[in-house]
Amino acid sequence: MDPAEVEFLAEKEMVKIIPNFSLDKIYLIGGDLGPFNPGLPVEVPVWLALNLKQRQKCRIVPPEWMDTDKLEEIREQERKLETFTPIPSPYYMELTKLLLNHAADNIPKADEIRTLVKDIWDTRVAKLRLSADSFISQQEAHAQLDNLTLMEINTTRSFLLDSLNYMYKLRSNLQPGRSKDY
Amino acid sequence: MPCERKPMRYGHSEGHTDVCFDDEGKCIVTCGSDGDVRIWESLDDDDPKSINVGEKVYSVALKNGKLVTAVSNNTVQIHTFPEGDPDGILTRFTTNANHVAFNASGSRVAAGSSDFLVKIVEVADSSQQKTLRGHDAPVLSVALDPSDEFLASSSCDGSVTVWSIESQTQVAQWKVLQKSSDVSNAKSLCRLAWQPRSGKLLAVPVDLTIQLYDKNTWTNVSTLSDELITQVFNVVVWSPCGKFLAAGTVGGNLLIWDVEAKLCIERQKHEKGFTVCGMAWHPSGGRIAYTDTEGCLGLLEDVSSASSTIQNTKATAVKETNDYDDLFDEDDDRMLDEGTTDSRSPVKKPIMDDDDDDDDLMPATGRPRNRGSFLDDDDNSQDPGSVKLDGLPEEDGSSAVLPAVGPAVSRPIYEGPMPSQPQRAFQPGSTPVHLMHRFMMWNSVGIVRGYNDDQDNAIDVEFHDTAIHHAMHLTNSLGHTMADLSQEAVLLACEGTDELASKIQCLHFSCWDTQKDWMVDLPKGEDVRALCLGQGWAAVATSTLMVRLFSIGGVQKEIFSLPGAVVCMAGHGEQLLVVYHRGTGFDGDQALGVQLLQLGRKRRQVIHGEPLPLSRKSYLAWMGFTGEGTPCCIDSEGVARMLNRTLGNTWAPVCNTRDTCKSKSDHCWVVGVHENPQQIRCIPCKGSRFPPTLPRPAVAVLPFNLPYCQTTTEKGQMEEQYWRSMLFHNHFGFLSSNDYEIDSEGQSQAEKEQQELLMKMFALSCKLEREFRCVELAELMTHSVVTLAIRYASRSRRMALAQRLSELALEKANQLQEEEQEEDDEPAYQRHTSREYRGSNKMSSRQAEVENGCEEEEEQEEYPQEEQMDAEESTETRKPCLNPFKKGGKSPERPSPKPVSREGRVNPFKVSGAEKSSSSPAGQPRTTNVLDSMTMASRKPATLSGTSKQGKAPVLKPLAPKPKSKTQATLLQMSASKASRKKQEDSQSGAEKIKPVPAATPPVSAENIENRKPKTGFQLWLEENRKSILTDNPDFEEMDIIKEGMGRFRILSAEERLNWTERAKGDSDPKKRKREDEAGQVDERMESDEGSAKKKKPLDASAKLSAFAFNKE
Repeated sequence: MDPAEVEFLAEKEMVKIIPNFSLDKIYLIGGDLGPFNPGLPVEVPVWLALNLKQRQKCRIVPPEWMDTDKLEEIREQERKLETFTPIPSPYYMELTKLLLNHAADNIPKADEIRTLVKDIWDTRVAKLRLSADSFISQQEAHAQLDNLTLMEINTTRSFLLDSLNYMYKLRSNLQPGRSKDY
Repeated sequence: MPCERKPMRYGHSEGHTDVCFDDEGKCIVTCGSDGDVRIWESLDDDDPKSINVGEKVYSVALKNGKLVTAVSNNTVQIHTFPEGDPDGILTRFTTNANHVAFNASGSRVAAGSSDFLVKIVEVADSSQQKTLRGHDAPVLSVALDPSDEFLASSSCDGSVTVWSIESQTQVAQWKVLQKSSDVSNAKSLCRLAWQPRSGKLLAVPVDLTIQLYDKNTWTNVSTLSDELITQVFNVVVWSPCGKFLAAGTVGGNLLIWDVEAKLCIERQKHEKGFTVCGMAWHPSGGRIAYTDTEGCLGLLEDVSSASSTIQNTKATAVKETNDYDDLFDEDDDRMLDEGTTDSRSPVKKPIMDDDDDDDDLMPATGRPRNRGSFLDDDDNSQDPGSVKLDGLPEEDGSSAVLPAVGPAVSRPIYEGPMPSQPQRAFQPGSTPVHLMHRFMMWNSVGIVRGYNDDQDNAIDVEFHDTAIHHAMHLTNSLGHTMADLSQEAVLLACEGTDELASKIQCLHFSCWDTQKDWMVDLPKGEDVRALCLGQGWAAVATSTLMVRLFSIGGVQKEIFSLPGAVVCMAGHGEQLLVVYHRGTGFDGDQALGVQLLQLGRKRRQVIHGEPLPLSRKSYLAWMGFTGEGTPCCIDSEGVARMLNRTLGNTWAPVCNTRDTCKSKSDHCWVVGVHENPQQIRCIPCKGSRFPPTLPRPAVAVLPFNLPYCQTTTEKGQMEEQYWRSMLFHNHFGFLSSNDYEIDSEGQSQAEKEQQELLMKMFALSCKLEREFRCVELAELMTHSVVTLAIRYASRSRRMALAQRLSELALEKANQLQEEEQEEDDEPAYQRHTSREYRGSNKMSSRQAEVENGCEEEEEQEEYPQEEQMDAEESTETRKPCLNPFKKGGKSPERPSPKPVSREGRVNPFKVSGAEKSSSSPAGQPRTTNVLDSMTMASRKPATLSGTSKQGKAPVLKPLAPKPKSKTQATLLQMSASKASRKKQEDSQSGAEKIKPVPAATPPVSAENIENRKPKTGFQLWLEENRKSILTDNPDFEEMDIIKEGMGRFRILSAEERLNWTERAKGDSDPKKRKREDEAGQVDERMESDEGSAKKKKPLDASAKLSAFAFNKE
């Protein structure tokens, strides 16, 4: 999967918006949305929220976790612990990117949030690399992927799998008896 | 009598705090580690005035309008009080000061610092300083004795030292404290205190005791302690009379001793056990304010009443003056516009207060005392207020500063409820006027924000729905303070000043010409107090107790006078709601009156100034209309009340918005109320009554919850739901009576929901064996649901109940007919649960009827399933075939499902599925279909009678036949044409007992039914004996055979007949089960028919039915 696909999946997440128009319930395949009352928060998928935002039809209410205090706490937690900490949203990176790119004016302290999420992301990816390294160097057969988000798995998947394949090839070449294919 | 400990409230951020009262005791002044000094008008003051004096404040002292603070920038500063303007630096240290204290006259300030020094500074001339050196560690506390001779100081070096101020030398020293290196490490703050006035004793908190030192001998004359105390004393304060001593410990204990008697008269514990680090005694002696190291502020009330009788009289004496002042004020300052000290009013104006205070700094006037007495308000119950009728104002001031020494004088005393301050006029949905950034209006249309800071004086108008208008930014050169917003216009108004008259400005943006705004000046001396916008009109209430109406284009229209000063106004459509002061409230209550006027075409007064109910000791916080146009009010206790038009315009409590708040100081700021869907839109505010403009607050939605009893039980819950539903659908009646569009789908859904709830409650009472209650509930039901209830009752073998219900059903049907006849040629299509607005709905019903006619075709498709049922049932019901339209028209239940089914989506699969099982030929004539579908609903009683007859063997149960005949009579009545109705009833009730003529049944179904119908004993007997009858009388027709058979059957002995019946029962058993299944199906069908329903599968419906049936044996 490439990141765009993951992002596409993330757009299904629900987010609260405050519409500035009035519309009855709309019936979609994915479920009913609305009714939209001007000034009243309503939950819609991110894709619709962004679309409405781009047309200046709504204000987006940032998700609960998109708050500097909470993110700072998560960042500290992430830095402290060896393992991955649970993340408030399985699409935190994608949502942050989408919402901050399109609706930065509706999110208080947007810049700080961007930095914090990037920090968290970096920490987690660094951990991921480290654990991949130890996974390979200790020649483990399996690893747990607790609390990893789709995007994170996705970033490391191609690299890790390819390298494992290569290593397998190389190793099997080392044992002459078995390397019949090569 | 123990004193009352008020709950702690948030005062400052966590950290060290200090507290004192102002000279008159009308404000509590606190400081904290957030660097702010806050001035609280009372403990409940949600909007204290904040003065930022530095980064951290260690100590605060206040006297003669000078606020002295020890700040973290190593200075001791003066600020003016209560304005809070900086008034210079008194002195500096090399590190921060820990404690500052005034002398008795307020001319000198002593300060002790962490650089081991104590300084005494003249307030008037800060260059005159005296420095006392001698401590070897940071100074903890300082205290100047009342005679200005000595200064006592305590220090971290473990010593308490008394200095002679004149000679700057040590007079006495006691090494009684524990040594420590710094204030932060010290076990105790060791706040010292001289006995006021005489200065004879110095109180020193030493470990677990308070030691008292005599000024003359400098010896420890007594020690106060309490065995219950396990932690170190931190603070000690004397009562203003010098008789009592209060102390606070590190563990949060608060104790008060009678010093003479060395008796501990009061023990209180901090609610969370935090360290008490500041205490102050109210100048009148009745209360103690204290703060803790977590930044919270608390108050002990009624301290004096807890003490000995002598003190009590003294306290009363003090109080008398208070209350006298209060009354004095009422006389003087009753005018609303001057009621600035009313801290109960949601709109506070400290700035104006300040002005007042400046004017009245003379201690003699009653005005400044006003707030102090206001603080007393709450303890009126414990300590009934008294009034000194002939007191001189001069005494008030002196007695306030120096409490009266002598016992109370024998003056005539007024003991009774005290008048409360009338609340100020306000705009519902606005935040206080004094804020720099405030909401001037937040309603369902949009938001009006006002900015009034250094750079900008502007008004922002923003619409929730941008389709109405784009956002606007206006410069507020006139200084508007009031605003309202509607779909058509923005109305702004400002109060007049000396030069300028009070102005009303209207931005009529929906205007189609080019002049979008107009402005009106009020006559000189008349100020706008409240305003509102309706549809096509604007209303303004003024200080001259007048309401002026304008058209939205600026034409002046009617004016009328109000009986009292306006509190607020609200408009919706053609309705104008005015709330005003009806009179003087007592004991914190407000006496408000409300008028509801109908403008527009039908001009009339709907509510004629009746009292507006509010919670005890609360004021009005929001007033307005729901989105649907029902007046609604919310008081400061958070209780929302809505007008119940069907119960003589009473106010029903519908919600307590405070229920959702976690803490006591949290509130919900309401911005709108809607009945459909049921929502209170509000902004939850943490620790305040109103939200700030930034960050932009988010609206939350609260549900309604009527305060019914026992809502934890199923019964209570359903009762609450039912009455809520009733209350919140009153607006349909109102709207249609005013020719507004109504959501007929919503209405029918609501009715359905109500009936469903009734049915559930019915089932529940049935289960609880409360049959009388069942009948009571049935009285609330519509006719068709009663028939369902009858079925339920008879199924659960409650024949007595079923009988009563069928009587009820008959009554209801009669009523229905009478009404129909009254309505004459207007066929009542719709029957409403609440008769109050029955007449009003004619319009909508007519509409629905027209639509209905057009869509017969569609209906026909939906009902094939029912056709079959009809076919099966019709023989049972033996209904004469009559004009189906008439029947449909009269059928009370039809209307509700119909609009739903019409507007809801039809499930195409359902039709085909039904057809499969249908035994009736598809090519049935159309009329029959229509008829069947129409009769469907009114057949319920028949279903019942069928069940009761066959399932319950009516021959055995004498009661069963009776309900049967009753219900059938009902049915027939309903189906009969109006003219023949009466006769039929008579003849039929007689004929009912015998088998009715089967000829009436539709021919197609007749055969079907004949087969299925279980046989009675008589039928069995007849079958066996038919031959013998035939042989006896060969020329007999079928009818004659039956007649003859009946005659013969009657001749049989009772035993024999019983025998036959038993056989018939046994015989029909398998059929009976089938019958019951069928009944179940009918049931399902009816359910699904009632439900929004065509979508629903029969399975769903049966599940739903099972919800009704709590305990079907």
